[in-house]
Amino acid sequence: MTLALAHARAMTLELARHPAYVVPTLAFPAVFFLFFAAPASGDAAVRMATFAGFAAIGVAFFQFGVGIAVERASPWETYLRTLPAGVTVRLVARLCSAAVFAGAAAAIVVAVALAVGGVALPAGAWAEVAGVLAGGTIPFALLGVAIGYWAPARGALPIANLLYLGLSYGGGLWVRPERLPRLVQRVSPLLPTRALADALTRATAGGGPPARSLAALAVFAVAFAGLAALGYRRDEGRRYG
Amino acid sequence: MTVASLAAVTKRFGAVTALDDVSFAVGQGDVLALLGPNGAGKSTAIAVLLGLRAPDAGSTELFGLDPRRPSARCAVGVVPQETAFPQTLRVFELIDLVRRHFPDPLALPELAGRLGLGPLLRRQLGGLSGGERRLVAVALAFAGAPRLLVLDEPTAALDGDTRSRVWEAVRQHADGGGSVLLTTHHLAEAEALARRVVVLERGVVTADSDVADLRRSAGLTRVSYRGGSGSVSVDVDDAGALVASLVRRGVPLVDLEVRPLTLEEALAANRHRG
Repeated sequence: MTLALAHARAMTLELARHPAYVVPTLAFPAVFFLFFAAPASGDAAVRMATFAGFAAIGVAFFQFGVGIAVERASPWETYLRTLPAGVTVRLVARLCSAAVFAGAAAAIVVAVALAVGGVALPAGAWAEVAGVLAGGTIPFALLGVAIGYWAPARGALPIANLLYLGLSYGGGLWVRPERLPRLVQRVSPLLPTRALADALTRATAGGGPPARSLAALAVFAVAFAGLAALGYRRDEGRRYG
Repeated sequence: MTVASLAAVTKRFGAVTALDDVSFAVGQGDVLALLGPNGAGKSTAIAVLLGLRAPDAGSTELFGLDPRRPSARCAVGVVPQETAFPQTLRVFELIDLVRRHFPDPLALPELAGRLGLGPLLRRQLGGLSGGERRLVAVALAFAGAPRLLVLDEPTAALDGDTRSRVWEAVRQHADGGGSVLLTTHHLAEAEALARRVVVLERGVVTADSDVADLRRSAGLTRVSYRGGSGSVSVDVDDAGALVASLVRRGVPLVDLEVRPLTLEEALAANRHRG
C-alpha cells in the first residue's frame, strides 16, 4: 500500500504541474455550471449535485481513459514493468490520484454553486450526495479503464471526450431529463449517466438513494469491468506476450 | 551461481524468428556483453530475461524465479533502450519513487555522488537534454542497489566525461561482486567493461566466450607500419617472424606498431574464418 501511495503521489504531482490537465479538469465543469446551470430555473441543489457528478466522471474518463492509453504507448510504462511491483500497484495509485482530482473538481462546482446561492440541502443530504458521487463514479472509472486499454493513444482523447460529453448530456447531468429533446429522452434511461443523475437527484432530498439507480450503476460497473478486463488481457498479449 | 539465464529460448514475432534456441547465463560477478548488429535479437533477449516478453519455447530464470513474478525483479536494475519519464517530476522525486521498490536502496547523496547527478536533482525531467535523461536512466538502474544490472545501450547519447563516470560506476558494481548484462554497439565499451561476450546474429548465438579467450582464439596480432609503399596493416599469427622478415628485406619501418587485436577486430577475424 505504501508503494501504491508513492505512485499516487508521483502521479498527482505530475498531473498537478500540467496546467493543460489541471485547468480544464478542475475549471471546465464549474465554468459550465456558471454559464448554463446557475441561471436556470428549478432546484439549485439538484443542479449542483448533477454538475458535481459531471465534474467527477470527467476525471474518471480522462485520468483513466486517456491516461492509460497514453501510458501504454510510452516506454515509461515498460520501464515500470521492470520494477518489482505488480500492475495492481499502478491501478490503485491511479484510483487514489483520480479520487483527489475528482474530489477537487466536484468541490469547486459545489463552492461555485454555494457562492451563486439558492442551494438548500438537509443536513444528512450532504453526506448522501458525497457517497453517491464517490460510489457512482466507479462505473465511469471502469469505463475509463476500458477506453484506456481498447483505444489507441491518439484516439483516446476524442473517444473519451465524445463519450463524456454525450453521456453527460444524454443522461441529464446538465439539464433535467424531462427537458431533453424527445429522442434523447427515449435513450436517456438506458445510459449510466442517467442512473447517476437520478441517484444524485434523490440524494439531494436526503431520503436515501433509489435502489433501482444504484442497481443500474452496479450492472454498468460489472459490464465495464468486464470490458476493461478483456481490453487488459488483449493488451497484455500484444505487448508482453 | 547463476543470477539470470535463458535456456533454449525461441521467440517469434509472426514470421520473424527473433531468438532461435538461444541460451546463455549470467553468473554472480559476471560482466557479460551481449553483442550483435541491429536486429540481431539483443533487446528481445533482454525483454524475455526481464519478463517483458514470454518465450515461445525454452525457459528463463531471474534469481531462480520466473521473471514475470515481481519478486524475481527485487534485485535487478534496468536501463532500457528507450526512455521516457514523467515530464514535470523532478529528478530527485523520480529517483525516490524508484528507490521505494527495493528493500535496501542506495542513499540519494551516494547515488548522486557516484554518477555526478547533483546539479540535475531539482530539475524537472522534461527540461533535461537527451544525455541528461540517459544519465538519469542509468541512475535509476543503480538506485535500488541491485545485484544484477541490465543495461541496454546505457551510454548512448552520453558525452565522454559522463560515459567515463558510468563506466566507473559499472566497474565498481562488478568489483563489489555485482553482475552486469550489457548491450552496446560500441565494442570499445564492451571491451572496457565486459569479461565475457555473447554474440547474437539473426537471433542465433554465434559466440559465447571470455573476452581474453576470444582474442586468443583469433590467434592474431596486428602489425602496422609505414613502409616504402605507404601505410600497411596486417593481422598475423607470428608478429616476430613478420617483423624479422621485413627488417631482413630492408623495408623501412616507420611508426611500427605491434599489438593484440581489439575485441572488434577479433570478432571480425573469427567471423571471417567462419
